[in-house]
Amino acid sequence: MKRQCMYAGVCVALMVASGCAFDVYHLKQLPATMESGRSARDSFQLVKEQEVDLGNSYKRTLRKGTRWTHVGTIRQGEVFKTADQILTVEASNVHEAYIVVSSNKLVGFYLPVEKAYSPLSEPVDLSIGAVVQGMNQ
Amino acid sequence: MNARLCFLVVLAASFLSAGCATGPKYGEIAPSFGKLAPDKGRIYVYRASALGAAVQPQVKLNGETIGNAISQGFFYVDRAPGHYEMMTSTEVDRKLSLTLDKGQTRYVRLNISMGFFVGHVYPELVESDVGQKEIQECSYIGQQK
Repeated sequence: MKRQCMYAGVCVALMVASGCAFDVYHLKQLPATMESGRSARDSFQLVKEQEVDLGNSYKRTLRKGTRWTHVGTIRQGEVFKTADQILTVEASNVHEAYIVVSSNKLVGFYLPVEKAYSPLSEPVDLSIGAVVQGMNQ
Repeated sequence: MNARLCFLVVLAASFLSAGCATGPKYGEIAPSFGKLAPDKGRIYVYRASALGAAVQPQVKLNGETIGNAISQGFFYVDRAPGHYEMMTSTEVDRKLSLTLDKGQTRYVRLNISMGFFVGHVYPELVESDVGQKEIQECSYIGQQK
């Protein structure tokens, strides 16, 4: 009887724990208002591939040669988007994302649908160059 | 013994194929799809894998049911440019947020992952070349009317 109780207890604990685990990964999101306006550069091209650790076991790669166009400014930096690759950030859900750049570093992501900023725990250096036609791979 | 084995194989095949989409493949039917209106964008939604075929949640776009996640099936919707949230629900909700521009075509693949009682179907935005390739083997299931 004791053993049966123990099994039942373990089962319930597993069910509760697994139920929680499904939604355990949340992306940190801060409300952000994007303003249009000019930036020091209207566009740039990545000279080197850059892997980005989202800090929640997910990673993303910004591809070499992708061209990024300035779409606006938020408090944390300049917002750029690209048509050369799909960029999403992911936790329990998946969000289309633009990159936020400050002083040539990737500091986080702007989520256009949520109108939110998702910061990286550590800014990442970007190898930025002028847009060169035909460089995109 | 052989008959039993044969029966088991047929049974397994039936289980696998049950719940998979039937109908014309993308290549056969795509030419008949209407041309995208100049003020709209198109979203293709497909589920390439046969895994977990019995799990067929509804697919919602901004709260509106647009179809079902049927294995090896696809459908599409044309929508005005804007911001969208696609959601599938099994024992949990899985969401994808995406933007859609005028004249743009986007591909959303429905993947399946492990769940506790039932698998989780989650939408993923994929590159156009990947979507165009993977959707070829899917059958048109039509969108929710």
